[in-house]
Amino acid sequence: MIREAAPAIRPREDMRSVGEAVSAIALTHPAGRRWWIAFAGATALLGLFAFTLAYLLYEGVGIWDNNNAVVWALDIASYDWWIGVACGSLLVSGILLLLGAEWRGPVNRIAETVALLATAAAGLYPIIHLGRPWFFYWNLPYPNTFGLWPQFRSPLLWDAIDIVSFLVVTLSLWYIGLLPDLACLRDRAHAEAARQTEAVAPTRRIAQFRAQAYGVASSGWRGSAAHWQIWGQAYRIVALLGVLLVVSVQTGASVMLAGSVMPGWHGTLMPVSFLIHAVLSGVGVTAALVVLVRGVYALDGLVTDRHLDALARLMLCLGCASAYCYGAEFFDTLLNGDSGGRAVLVRRMEGGHALAFWMAVLGLVLPPQLFWSGRARRSPLALAAAGLLVAVGAYADHMMILVVTLTQDFLPSSRLPYSVDLWGVATFVGSVGLFLTLVLLFVRYLPPVSITAIRRLVPAGSSGESAAPRRKDEAEREAPLWGVAATFPTEAELAAALQALSPLRGRVRLDGYGPVPMPRTLRALGLEGRSILPYALAGALGGGAAFYGMCIYATAYDYVFLIGGRPRFSWPSFVVPSVSFAMLTGCLAVHAALLWLNRLPRLNHPAFNIPGFLRASDDRFFLAAELPEDGTDLARVERRLAGLPPGGGRPLATARIPR
Amino acid sequence: MNGNADDRPSGFGTAQLFSPGADAIYRLVLMTLASCLVALPVLAAGIVRSNYVTGVGIAPSQPLPFSHKHHAGELGIDCRYCHTSVEKEASAGIPPTHTCMTCHSQIWTGSDMLKPVRDSYTEDKPLVWKRLNKLPGYVYFNHSVHVTKGVGCSSCHGDVTSMQMTYRANAFEMQFCLDCHRAPEKNLRPPAEIWNMEWKPPADQASLGPTLAARYHVRGGERLTECGICHR
Repeated sequence: MIREAAPAIRPREDMRSVGEAVSAIALTHPAGRRWWIAFAGATALLGLFAFTLAYLLYEGVGIWDNNNAVVWALDIASYDWWIGVACGSLLVSGILLLLGAEWRGPVNRIAETVALLATAAAGLYPIIHLGRPWFFYWNLPYPNTFGLWPQFRSPLLWDAIDIVSFLVVTLSLWYIGLLPDLACLRDRAHAEAARQTEAVAPTRRIAQFRAQAYGVASSGWRGSAAHWQIWGQAYRIVALLGVLLVVSVQTGASVMLAGSVMPGWHGTLMPVSFLIHAVLSGVGVTAALVVLVRGVYALDGLVTDRHLDALARLMLCLGCASAYCYGAEFFDTLLNGDSGGRAVLVRRMEGGHALAFWMAVLGLVLPPQLFWSGRARRSPLALAAAGLLVAVGAYADHMMILVVTLTQDFLPSSRLPYSVDLWGVATFVGSVGLFLTLVLLFVRYLPPVSITAIRRLVPAGSSGESAAPRRKDEAEREAPLWGVAATFPTEAELAAALQALSPLRGRVRLDGYGPVPMPRTLRALGLEGRSILPYALAGALGGGAAFYGMCIYATAYDYVFLIGGRPRFSWPSFVVPSVSFAMLTGCLAVHAALLWLNRLPRLNHPAFNIPGFLRASDDRFFLAAELPEDGTDLARVERRLAGLPPGGGRPLATARIPR
Repeated sequence: MNGNADDRPSGFGTAQLFSPGADAIYRLVLMTLASCLVALPVLAAGIVRSNYVTGVGIAPSQPLPFSHKHHAGELGIDCRYCHTSVEKEASAGIPPTHTCMTCHSQIWTGSDMLKPVRDSYTEDKPLVWKRLNKLPGYVYFNHSVHVTKGVGCSSCHGDVTSMQMTYRANAFEMQFCLDCHRAPEKNLRPPAEIWNMEWKPPADQASLGPTLAARYHVRGGERLTECGICHR
């Protein structure tokens, strides 16, 4: 039943309307009152979090009612759940980006944000569940006075490295994706500030400050063809690093359980089902947030039924995979398992914590089955409800895995009952408050859907309102000259003009600016061969090798600590943290290359003097020809541009740009 | 933003959002933050190792200015004359006032400097010395096993016979203990050298050390670095 896919964008949208619609959310704050109510609720929960953490620090982890048998309960379940949500949404965003799914615009940004903020919530748990949280850094390799190294064979250390790397990679992916959108916001805010200054509006100072804040955040992004080229590569490489890191992170979280001999944990299926449930819960939370943002900000023109449909299908696939995991576990345990494993399975279904099991099955397996129906797939309400149910189910699954196994050890003497404690719940609810507060701040101040990615869906030339060719303003003729600039309605015309100027390339520095990535312009500039892959590879391989070397040096030479008969060269166990660390250093290298190769940050640049340059992040394409100091070739550049045929490179306007 | 798109300024003459100097400031801030990321941990690591924190080389004021240099160095009184239990017990022992008075009931009996000692004796109240070498409660340390198995006083306490006022010679951090526990043969001495405060490893320590370790039945490496050796 292959049908023509629904359009991923409403047909009437053009580049400018997309930018307007999205940047208006951040700049004019249309959902004012509802936002404040939600924000008040979220900050109340955040306050609860602060209160529980203060009590936790004062009183100790005993407040969660964990005991000698059930050492891990809500704390680790919450951590696993948060990091699972983060991994899932990062994986979705990364894979959509790597596959070049052209409709991804509205989903990617929200998925990346969920990944980042869920990591922030997750990252606190490993710290606060320590007996003495202020010594959390003891888990990291740092120059200490103990003469000791951390135990690199332990998944506990892997987790510490994973979390740090994951935070850096999600932050980086999120920020790189955001960079051009921040520039768009900066330019819209700048235009607004200019308007207010002209009108001597009382809020003009604030408007100027807001524009500058976005300006600093966007690091002086100018939308040059070369910027876009490196940006696109950086975005994809960091997405790839993130996807690889997800596997490593979920391995760390699940091998901690699977590597033990406890019934219910000790299975090879564990890492797989962990990953599947992580991705499912990540998609669920992302879908719920997509629906929320779409509804509140009336973005149905940009977040179309096609997106809801895609998310629902993804949830359906993962729901089926989850059903397979449960089925395989039952089958394997009943047919092949030992009595301990069978007892755990039975206790899961009908023991004291059976509620967790049934919530997990009903939440993870059943709601996605709704999406066999096409109508349900296009219903925002069904999607959001299923997304939340799936997230609840994933939490219950973690709870079930941890608590049912731990309440009954092999020894009857180490069996202790556990019941969920109010403080544990309060801690988790508080961490939800942290997440929601940050989500609300994000939708308030930043573009909740990707302007850049959605603009790429706009058919070329749809913004081509015809403007009469116009001569430059002569007022700045006396100032020393930086170059000549020309304006075009489409990238094709910009590329044609650059092609026509290319014989001058040796003496004149040419560049093109625009609101979307510009592959044709790159070809005309002769830059298409540039790649930051070597930097990324060098960073990742160098960092990974250095970490691996450190593990070997520490474990086999400097701190030989033979325990449990583990070999000095426990090389397989060093792979996981080394891979995580490689992703971290690769990501840092990409970031450094992105800034360095683009000569950013550059807040003040002559290109910003080009008349109407604010529209370079909107719907115009600009050519800049930077002249040598003595200003020769000025006439030649202007003559060549003026000589081009209309529609084949003739600019809408040209201007001389002062230094 | 709300209004007609065309009444936004066309941008002709729109000023730069930032002055040219802003770049320098922004880059300076970024570089400062990046270097802080490296510099702060290095600084912290340096501070915790500094004498200011560890107290190495700092002689606190004591109830009276007792000089190890004078008594143990110039007069040659044996360590064990005062620290009597060092060969037999976990603690080396702080001498009671009676030990001081064995001599000072006879010599320097009128000295002002020694008045606290005489007061302590007549009032039957011990002198309260400021402790220099402290170990945390979770560290088990035994003097006797060290001095009877070839570890001399000065290996940990430094050349006390040269200290006018006594100070801490080493920061007793775990690294310090482990350096020796991982390779004890580098610091083992023959029994005659235990009390020698100026002992330096001789030229043939590389061959002498393992012989001594065998003689003392010291098993280095994996045995002495077990957690339970010190943390019981």
